[in-house]
Amino acid sequence: MNRKKIIIKEVFIFGLFLIFLLNGKTSGQISNIVSSVKFGDAKEKTPLSISAELFTSENISDISIAYKSFGQNEYKKSEMLIAGNTASVTLPADVIQPPYIEYYLVIRTKDGSSQTYPLDIEKGVNPLQIPVSAFSQKDKEIIILSPDDGEMMSEKELLISISFIKAPDIVDIKKTKIFLNNVDVSSSELIAGDLIILSGENLGSKVSPGSKLLKVEVFDKEGNLYHSISRSFETVTAEVAMAVSSRWKYNGYAMGESRSENFGSESVWRNNISAEFNGSIDQWKINGYAYLTSEEKSYLQPYNRYSASIQGGDWLDLKVGDAFPRFPNLIMDGKRVRGFTGAVNLGFINLQVASGETAREVEGTLIEKFTASNAPLGNDIIPINSSKYNGFSFGKVTLGTYNRKILAVRPSFGSGENFQFGLTYLHSKDDKNSIEFGARPQENIVIGTDLMFAFDNQNILFTSQAAVDVYNKDISSGNLTDAQIDSVFGPNGNFNIDPGKVKQARDIIGKFITVNQYIGPWNPQELSSLAAEAALALNYFNNSLRASYIYRGNEYQSFGQSFLRTDVKGLNLVDRFRMFDNKLFVSFGYESLQDNLQKTKIATTTYQTLSASVSIFPRTNFPNITIGYNQYVNNNSLKTSDPTNGQYAVDDVTNRILLQLSYDFFMVVKHNSSLSFTTSTRDDKSLAMTNAKFNSTSLNLNSYWTPSLMSLFGFVYSASDIKGIPFNYFTLTVGGRYRLLQNKLQLSATLSPSFGDFKRQALEFTADYNVLLNLNLMFQSRIYRIPGASTNSIIGLTARVSI
Amino acid sequence: MKAKSLLIIFIIPLLLGFNSGKKSTPQADTQIALVKKIVKDVTYKKAGQSDWDNAKTGLPLNDGEQVKTGAKSLALILFIDGSGLLRVRENAILNVYGKSGNKKLDDKNTVLTKGTIGFEVNKQEDEEFKFTTPTAVASIRGTEGSLEVDDNNSTVIRLDRGKLDFQSLKGDKKSGSLTEGNTARIDNSGNISITPQSQEDKNKNNSIKNTNTKKVKIKTKLGDIEIEYYSSENK
Repeated sequence: MNRKKIIIKEVFIFGLFLIFLLNGKTSGQISNIVSSVKFGDAKEKTPLSISAELFTSENISDISIAYKSFGQNEYKKSEMLIAGNTASVTLPADVIQPPYIEYYLVIRTKDGSSQTYPLDIEKGVNPLQIPVSAFSQKDKEIIILSPDDGEMMSEKELLISISFIKAPDIVDIKKTKIFLNNVDVSSSELIAGDLIILSGENLGSKVSPGSKLLKVEVFDKEGNLYHSISRSFETVTAEVAMAVSSRWKYNGYAMGESRSENFGSESVWRNNISAEFNGSIDQWKINGYAYLTSEEKSYLQPYNRYSASIQGGDWLDLKVGDAFPRFPNLIMDGKRVRGFTGAVNLGFINLQVASGETAREVEGTLIEKFTASNAPLGNDIIPINSSKYNGFSFGKVTLGTYNRKILAVRPSFGSGENFQFGLTYLHSKDDKNSIEFGARPQENIVIGTDLMFAFDNQNILFTSQAAVDVYNKDISSGNLTDAQIDSVFGPNGNFNIDPGKVKQARDIIGKFITVNQYIGPWNPQELSSLAAEAALALNYFNNSLRASYIYRGNEYQSFGQSFLRTDVKGLNLVDRFRMFDNKLFVSFGYESLQDNLQKTKIATTTYQTLSASVSIFPRTNFPNITIGYNQYVNNNSLKTSDPTNGQYAVDDVTNRILLQLSYDFFMVVKHNSSLSFTTSTRDDKSLAMTNAKFNSTSLNLNSYWTPSLMSLFGFVYSASDIKGIPFNYFTLTVGGRYRLLQNKLQLSATLSPSFGDFKRQALEFTADYNVLLNLNLMFQSRIYRIPGASTNSIIGLTARVSI
Repeated sequence: MKAKSLLIIFIIPLLLGFNSGKKSTPQADTQIALVKKIVKDVTYKKAGQSDWDNAKTGLPLNDGEQVKTGAKSLALILFIDGSGLLRVRENAILNVYGKSGNKKLDDKNTVLTKGTIGFEVNKQEDEEFKFTTPTAVASIRGTEGSLEVDDNNSTVIRLDRGKLDFQSLKGDKKSGSLTEGNTARIDNSGNISITPQSQEDKNKNNSIKNTNTKKVKIKTKLGDIEIEYYSSENK
């Protein structure tokens, strides 16, 4: 294809983008807390890092991410780690599945309220999507022998070698293009049979110390791009390389940040320091991490984070400090534990333990005192120590938080490659003496089992887990006394049960959990405290089929898992077809869930989700395209005309269509672009009539003008209508990054005004200066103005020393 | 006419030389491996030749070629199908063999005549990977460990991960299997002993994985001379 044709093709494709832009009704995300969300390259079954840049962490109690794979109805949630003005999390590999994952953020503020990003998810606003690309067979055909991913080597030792021994005959090795940090170094390559070799000697001055992105573009004999692969590595000075190649390897950093945050007339200084150290010798790895911030207050849950860990190969993992241990997800997953976590994996037998606190004590406040005779009723009226408070025995308080301890133990048998059977025990209890002004300290026990077995290299995979819990909603009065049992049980009591047997049961069960009138469930025979799920996955003929069934009783509760949806059962089916070497993905999903398992509601609601998606990853000079459709149907069969229960009728249908395009193209210079278009309509036939329409379009364009200069351009257009109330806005983003002084100084600036029903102007500027080899200073400023309301700013300085 | 001939003689090589920025080397032999790193004294010899040439980083190794390391020297060798890595320690001599066809390398065989190598071999599907010494042959599918041939031609195989089958080439030609965490010793008479790895074996394997080097800088009137060498005493 000649140059002219290529340009015409690119103009045509870019034109297609513009047509979509002009025709599309659009929407997007607004938030005065989250500035932007960044994520890495989402690849199938590879952990994905996501970070949210915050305008300010002021008033934020915690942030969690809710995410799900294609075809699933239920979101999983994980707490994000807040450090400075960034909240980050790494999603586990098993949920990163093509064609995309959906997510939104849940931000809890210190006053107890919460909001989502994007706003109003609960009202039907569409979540965000991250396209996930699939593995390619071609990754196995073109082998990068050297460098290894993440390898450090000296400039002298540098060796880039690509092997084509497994490449098909249509590949023309001589047409291969090799780029180092977007600089074409193909002219230095030496072709030797099935090998392409570039050594530091050939590259000469083209290599300087620093991070390198190696990109290899392989072409067929007709000059069409056949495949593209990339790898990151680092070139360092010979001295550093020698240190790195030592048995004892280490790296780390110490960072300090001071920033001034101004909100209208209020101003506050915030300071934080953080440090991390990683060391390894042979199979042993150690890590230490600490983040200390001036936002840490004894009357709030911890903001500081610290941990130290040691790993011995795959068999030992011990950690003290803050951790997010992963047990079977019905029992414990995504919950922060401060204490000890560890695992010993011997293959045939393994042991996993987590022990520590999930909430620290925060004392409440006594507002008003009452005598027993004049105390009003209320959740915030609690007994107080009358001898301490001049005879007043009740108080109106702001309730504090009890210290909550947790212990989880999971022995398992089998390596998990073909078989594993695990048993989990979790016990969690509030320390009722940890605070004075609190109410209803609680206790929880969960016992669970999990099983997996796989055949044929895990192409047939069965997984299952089940758990039951016992939950005490108020342990403040302790165990039932003998006198209490005698008064309630027996021939003269309310229940004609032998009090002796009740005492015996209390003594046995009381060894595990406080036994009193608040313990539950009271209807275990109805499986109200049971949670179970089973899944069968088959992976054959480029077709991945997964069928799963879940059951969660309405009273199931695990203190290790705050994010689980209960009172639901149902079936989920997802099928993914891969065609043309994973260039084409066709996915279908169907889910049918029902609530009201224990008949505790007036009617049973059925939640049905139908999902379909087509993704094209051409891996050539054409955009990646994903088109998706979802239909959510919720119905509980009640008629709105029913005079008694019509108000409880649920009858709504939401249809959502999604189009995503991403395209790397060359037009004068290289550009990365992405365009997304989402439209959804909710037809609500219930009495609430929350009919809604959401349309959104967003475009991002990054252009690389020179190795030093990059620009970004983006916009979001949103048009929504909830119950006939329109809300439309447009956000434009322009910015750039420029490196100067031999790349030692990096300047970045972004201007992002919003117009329409939401008005805001945001400006961000950062200057990052590499003062010395291991010392960086960064100045950061953010100003955002809401016309007629406030002008807020954050100005900060960060120093970072690396070792 | 003479001038024209001379011009042609000059121009043709120039045209050939500048025809493409990419240099291609004639490649008749089967490529098996590639030298990824060398420290100090590493030489190689083509099959059928008697002279040793200095090896360089990026050198492709063909079927039957021989690599030799000197004292305090080290070579890292990669198989070009991505199937494995060899760490050739000091004073070792080895040959690499293999056949190329059907988009794969077959009959990969590393013959260690002397010295020690560390190996990391990825899980093989239907491709064979062998190590041969004067006293034993080992067949491998996804393992990590070391192979040593001492001065008496005895073979020591220390396995850190995976499993391998081996056979003595001497005496009764006994065969056996070695699992991870164990060490096999095959002496010159074909006797085999398999024992759990001793601390010394573990230390040795750790030492073999270590590719740390040391440098000596000698200042002379004519400039500095830098000698990089591998030390097995590195910690």
